[in-house]
Amino acid sequence: MNEKDPVAGSPALGEADLPKVFGTLAVAWLVPGAGHFLLGRRGRGVAFLLIVLAAVVTGILLTGNLYRVLPDQPLTILATLGSMGMGAPYFFLRFYLGYQGDLTSVGYEYGTAFLLTAGLMNLLLVMDAWDIARGRKE
Amino acid sequence: MPISHFFLMTLYALIVSLFFAILWRRNRRDQVRLLLQMFLGLVGGALLLAWLMYPFPSGPPAPIP
Repeated sequence: MNEKDPVAGSPALGEADLPKVFGTLAVAWLVPGAGHFLLGRRGRGVAFLLIVLAAVVTGILLTGNLYRVLPDQPLTILATLGSMGMGAPYFFLRFYLGYQGDLTSVGYEYGTAFLLTAGLMNLLLVMDAWDIARGRKE
Repeated sequence: MPISHFFLMTLYALIVSLFFAILWRRNRRDQVRLLLQMFLGLVGGALLLAWLMYPFPSGPPAPIP
């Protein structure tokens, strides 16, 4: 049974709602800001979506690197996980558009930073959505 | 599109500052305050670091013609 969050006026999920929490987290990961939107923080959800997408689009315009795991380079595993944090945009860019980035581009390093940051920001959003769903945060 | 290092650095600082201001603060006034603190800290810190590094050589000396 849901109990009302007295601060935000939206439901704080209990133990029985764990599947719902994980569903929300999955959506929060796939679509930046969607977790906050589903949890009733609609304005912030839209703002987060725009911010993460702005970072992704800037990274693409600069033809930065969308990390993937390379053999004999273990750090690319961490970088790939970080980039995958952006959710659906990562898979759309990598597998649907075949995006790779351009190593010879002037903006390559900057673009890589923007793309990686977008993934890391969305991972923070997922953790924030977890705290909100569990009633630990406003 | 001409790429300015300073513009990209400023844009990056703005995006990150905006993100954390909305994530960490609820009140609009507090959000604006944190946004300004982070943005100015990032850009100012980068400029300060660049200024401190200015005397250091950036690479091998240019060949004498």
